[in-house]
Amino acid sequence: MENLHYSYVLIFIAICAVGVNFGFRLQFSKKLKLFLLTDSLILVIYLIWDFWAVSKGSWFFDSNQILGIMLLGKLPIEEVLFFIIVPMMTVLTYLALTKLTGWGKAKEDSR
Amino acid sequence: MIYSDIALNAVFVAVVLDLFLLKSRMMTRGIFWLTYFLILPFQLLTNWWLTSNAIVMYAVSDITGQRIAGAPIEDLLFGFSMILLTISAWEYFKIRLNEK
Repeated sequence: MENLHYSYVLIFIAICAVGVNFGFRLQFSKKLKLFLLTDSLILVIYLIWDFWAVSKGSWFFDSNQILGIMLLGKLPIEEVLFFIIVPMMTVLTYLALTKLTGWGKAKEDSR
Repeated sequence: MIYSDIALNAVFVAVVLDLFLLKSRMMTRGIFWLTYFLILPFQLLTNWWLTSNAIVMYAVSDITGQRIAGAPIEDLLFGFSMILLTISAWEYFKIRLNEK
């Protein structure tokens, strides 16, 4: 199970995401196109930085604690999933807080 | 380029995109900062897990050496930039897709 150590982070955030989505009735499934566009930008930018840093040896991963599926032979698949699931959780948090506070509406009024 | 530079560049790129290119200007809005400060402790928690177990390790020569919850301080800058850019891009594409 040691090779799931990184995956635990992703699973933890995924559980939070599902909880927030249903708890706040955010209907994220209806916003997948918007999320796909948003995350494509994040994936492009952050995977380039990540790949660069890993190539330079700025950071590296314990091969025993990851699944071992590598993108371009260098980036653990967990890193790619991280840049999908973290932005998803970020958006869900943002949507939940907007709903909770009503602060998002002020912007629409001022436009 | 070392991590300190990457992290600073990441913040710079995210701020420029938010304020001038995507023009979502999330940085000027309370809802963004509220979102950020709610996510921050969770970032520290996952950072702690990844670094205290040595799942991710950093080249000592490439970081300032300042650490928070086990992870290099650079991680906070990197995380901030990603949260800002995510919400900024979300608002940008939302208007273009004409979604509520």
